[in-house]
Amino acid sequence: MWQVIKSVLAAFFGVQKERQRRRDFEQGRPGHFILVGLVAAAVLVLLVVLLARLAAS
Amino acid sequence: MPRRLAWLSGAGGFALSPQVLANGWNMPVGVTDLSREIHSLHMTIFWICVVIGVVVFGVMFYSLFRYRRSRQPQAANFHEHTTVEVIWTTLPLLILVAMAVPATATLKNMYDTGDAELDVMVTGQQWRWRYDYLGEEVAFTSSLSTPRAQVRGEEARGETYLLDVDNPLVLPVGRKVRFLFTSDDVIHSWWVPELAVKQDTVPGFVNENWVRINEPGIYRGQCAELCGIDHGFMPIVVQAMAPDEFDAWLAERRDEAAQEALGVDRDWGHEELMTRGEEVYAAICASCHQPEGQGAPPTFPALAGNPRLQEDLGWQLDTVINGVSGTAMPAFRNTLNPVELAAVITYTRNAWGNATGDVVQPARVAERLAR
Ligand SMILES: [Cu+2]
Repeated sequence: MWQVIKSVLAAFFGVQKERQRRRDFEQGRPGHFILVGLVAAAVLVLLVVLLARLAAS
Repeated sequence: MPRRLAWLSGAGGFALSPQVLANGWNMPVGVTDLSREIHSLHMTIFWICVVIGVVVFGVMFYSLFRYRRSRQPQAANFHEHTTVEVIWTTLPLLILVAMAVPATATLKNMYDTGDAELDVMVTGQQWRWRYDYLGEEVAFTSSLSTPRAQVRGEEARGETYLLDVDNPLVLPVGRKVRFLFTSDDVIHSWWVPELAVKQDTVPGFVNENWVRINEPGIYRGQCAELCGIDHGFMPIVVQAMAPDEFDAWLAERRDEAAQEALGVDRDWGHEELMTRGEEVYAAICASCHQPEGQGAPPTFPALAGNPRLQEDLGWQLDTVINGVSGTAMPAFRNTLNPVELAAVITYTRNAWGNATGDVVQPARVAERLAR
């Protein structure tokens, strides 16, 4: 699970180690990545909204 | 070749335009605290961009030269370098955040229209501006006053070619002025570089902005949103003056407006209506219906020799007051007052060979407006 989160965060950042990528493609299940990806996207949107609120206050 | 020449002369014309000569190639520093802030922000970001550009292209050209084929015939064959990738991802992120913090602060300042001492409603119209000093009973339209002969090339162009208006927007120095922007027809944009204000005027919406001008002077601008055939013929002139001078000016305009309101009830003579009507026609109507009333059919019908206009006064009153939907003819019920309407209608019925002999009294127009 932690590996999945780490890989999703790396994808959000845009940089991933080749070793990790290989391992994800050999061992990972697509459903896990999609689910964690959706949650991470929601968290990102929430963070940006909070940041904008903070800046506008 | 002809195309290239045309392009060159176009670029040359831009380089020599008054705006460029006045400001150089850069945006002006301007005459408000906010415009200074925006300018310094612009310069900061510009220099950041210059440094990034020099570094990135420096590395690129160095690599092109250092690893050229004659020196390095064997291509290096590596795939990734996580550390370098993390650095070149993190660094731009930090730079962007560093630019976003002051930019956000300035933006917040720009949108803070509270505590204004004067409210001015700015309405875009094809093709002029209307200024309404809210709560002061003063409102007027501001139209291009550059002579048409200069436009047609029959006279030499003046220093402020296409940047002159009959009634400039007068504002006080040192007071916070709030602008409320809207439009009667299409989207225009009220742009005065020296005030660092460029705001779209959108029909059915009200946009806000504000200025507090530091120095008295004349500041010129233009419509910045392509809005039709005379988009380049609706300039903006702002005249900033000391607060006491401004108060005197405002009182004078208020008196004039009150005087004008009294004028609605009295009987006007043919001559005075014709004189007044000629002024109104030149400022408001001539850009479409042409100075001699010949129009530009089919979009802008001729008024000179127009049989319907000469026979049917009721129809003309309705056309001018309410406009004609689906055509370029706008409603003038809110743009012109009864005296101006009566004058311009009298004028068009008696100028350029239209010889109806009609004298349309302001009272008659006022009665029609009240319906
Ligand atoms: Cu416009």
